[in-house]
Amino acid sequence: MIELGALALRLALVAAVYAVLAAVAGARLRRTDVVASSRAAAYAVNGLVVVATAVLLRALLQHDFSLEYVAAYSSSTLPTQYVAAALWGGQQGSLLFWTLLLTTMSTLVHLQNRDRNQALMPYVTTTLMTTAIFFLALTVFVTDPFERLPVPAREGADLNPLLQNYWMMIHPPSLYLGYVGCSVPFAFGMAALVTGRLGDVWIRTTRRWTLFAWFFLTIGNLLGARWAYEVLGWGGYWAWDPVENAAFMPWLACTAFLHSVMIQEKRNMLKMWNMVLVLLTFTLTIFGTFLTRSGVVSSVHSFTQSGLGPFFIGFLAVVIAVSVALLYLRRPLLRSENEIDSFLSREGAFLFNNLLLVGIAFATFWGTVFPVISEAVRGIKITVGPPFFNKVNTPLGLALLFMIGVGPVIAWRRSTARNLRRNFTIPVVAGVLTGVALLGTGLVGNYYAIVCFSLAAFVIATIVLEFYRGTRARQALMGEPPATALVHLVNKNRRRYGGYIIHVGVVLAFVGIAASAAFRVEEQRTMRAGDTVEVGGFALTYKGMRQADNPHVASMLAEIEVARGGRVIATMFPEKRFYKRQQQPTTEVAMRTTWREDLYLVLGSYDQESGLMTLQAFINPLVIWIWIGGIVMVLGTVVSVLPTAAEQRALAAALAVEERGLAVWSE
Amino acid sequence: MSASQTDVEESLTCQCGCGLTVHACNHLQCPSRGPLQNEIAEQLALGKTKPEVLSYFAGKYGEKILAAPTTTGFNLIAWIMPFAVVFLAAVLIVVLTRRWRRPAPVVGPSTPADDDPELRARLDAELRGFDA
Repeated sequence: MIELGALALRLALVAAVYAVLAAVAGARLRRTDVVASSRAAAYAVNGLVVVATAVLLRALLQHDFSLEYVAAYSSSTLPTQYVAAALWGGQQGSLLFWTLLLTTMSTLVHLQNRDRNQALMPYVTTTLMTTAIFFLALTVFVTDPFERLPVPAREGADLNPLLQNYWMMIHPPSLYLGYVGCSVPFAFGMAALVTGRLGDVWIRTTRRWTLFAWFFLTIGNLLGARWAYEVLGWGGYWAWDPVENAAFMPWLACTAFLHSVMIQEKRNMLKMWNMVLVLLTFTLTIFGTFLTRSGVVSSVHSFTQSGLGPFFIGFLAVVIAVSVALLYLRRPLLRSENEIDSFLSREGAFLFNNLLLVGIAFATFWGTVFPVISEAVRGIKITVGPPFFNKVNTPLGLALLFMIGVGPVIAWRRSTARNLRRNFTIPVVAGVLTGVALLGTGLVGNYYAIVCFSLAAFVIATIVLEFYRGTRARQALMGEPPATALVHLVNKNRRRYGGYIIHVGVVLAFVGIAASAAFRVEEQRTMRAGDTVEVGGFALTYKGMRQADNPHVASMLAEIEVARGGRVIATMFPEKRFYKRQQQPTTEVAMRTTWREDLYLVLGSYDQESGLMTLQAFINPLVIWIWIGGIVMVLGTVVSVLPTAAEQRALAAALAVEERGLAVWSE
Repeated sequence: MSASQTDVEESLTCQCGCGLTVHACNHLQCPSRGPLQNEIAEQLALGKTKPEVLSYFAGKYGEKILAAPTTTGFNLIAWIMPFAVVFLAAVLIVVLTRRWRRPAPVVGPSTPADDDPELRARLDAELRGFDA
């Protein structure tokens, strides 16, 4: 059975190589049959990778400890859902899983474009399959998931306890979907460059894919933050760890790309820049994978050092060299067909939004790699940690928040003073009033947070105003009641209003991040049973220690009674676990979440003899709004991804123009 | 715990390999956090200011214990670069878009190809080539 998996991977590699060769040859020789065979080969690659993944999954579920991978990342006592999650819990499996997602997306792309984009598709196939070749070659030649142990193990070493968590089941797949999703727009971008068909067909064709990738990158990042918050137990959700940065950077580039393509669609500008962004996004996804696997930078949640680094660097070098060469060759065709009239315009705002997003991505990249640079130049190891990233990215992030308010409502081409007054008077007043009110309540001490709240009020006001005015206009024009008018308004232009909803989610997340970063309260106390500690209005009484035990894990739970204003409101159980197989202790945080704040309790240490227990208590204000912001972003994406009739007409029209040009092709 | 104790803890990296600051690290049985916290307290008790304490730690454990690069010498590049790049990119945007704004040479219906026999001939030749 195992041999079948190994064989499937080898065959998939061969099929992928064939797909690339046939696609290029078919396109060059204008042989539709050869191109069709490359498509068939791409489907075969997907099928074979599905087989390989199924074999590995089966080996995991059957606890086949003769397999090195199964023995290293699971055990017979590991709960089944985590056994399945072990598929992406280790190096080899996660590369295979990545390949599975990539080839499945390739299949979807080929199915979607069976009768469309005939000129682009061979090169889309080439790009996707070249990427598949890279990952398949890694799994075949470098880190084989089907490697056997010389002597079968009697028991597995178990999955890292930190990964035995609900969020960890969905965080990596989500992030991978986002990462891999970025290869689709990239593949179309490459195809557009090769064929010289640089109109907006590739952009319109891939808009949904870009949104899809962005959506999962967003969720992946948020789930990662949620996981860190719940599992790592240090009271925070983001530590600017290289692995977190690795997921954050492609998100930033992808966000920039999503925005700047609108300029190309509407005004035929920024063609070159869009190409650069799609290239950057894809490169950053590969770079992120490289970061987590190479051991170049140290991080808590990276995979162990593996010697994969050079391969990733090599692949990155090829990708960058080929794309830059293509960009250079196609330079004349990438000229803007329009000019910017004024910086006080939608185009100008989007340029600066792009500048900030890419700027934050650069700052994050720079901080992440600076230790390596320092060591190379000075021979001295240094650390670039949270204080650096917070200091550098906070001002850039706040500027970006400001642009979220400005970008969508400022006029195209050139804003008149009247337009600016009409759109921004109320929001500016709202922002300033918020700032003044906050200063008045004595929330001084953290000016960044106050600026953030003021900007949030400003942005929300611009969005509310947009909805309000749009609804009023429909009411007046169509005589519809307000609710109907609102629904129709959104329905008529889902992209625009979906975008606004996403922005509301982003603003909520900003508010949650600023509040929890600036106004966190924490206390650490060593207590005896019966002791009470006061933290930010809560009285926490330690009642005693409970114990629990099963074959997989032993745990100790501190019973903490929580009172506020003299009234008991909850009993919480911060917990310490001991995973028997890995001989590793972990912390299970106890949390009480309200709209206002999270009470977050961590059992630090417990000494059986003296009965002394150390409790860490955090009060993290408004954290829940980060997750709510995430849910709002999800809703907004769903709204904006649903196609409208007008949009489909635009794509059909653009395609019709393309296909006419292809008449020569299919005689 | 005084405010500056927390402040210093947040400026130093825990040496257990977690990548978190001394303040944030909560690895169970972390061999590094406790001793470092005590050492910070001792240093502060001597009446030292935050920069003095930090330079004491950098001297004792090497620069890598500082959670962020110093703002002197080569490390200054770490801090300046992001802002410099954003600033230069902003300048570049302004310069480039200024250039676009210059009126492009007018092409299109106002200069029909028939007016120019040379262009007409080239167009015919290319069309023949296309059909062939």
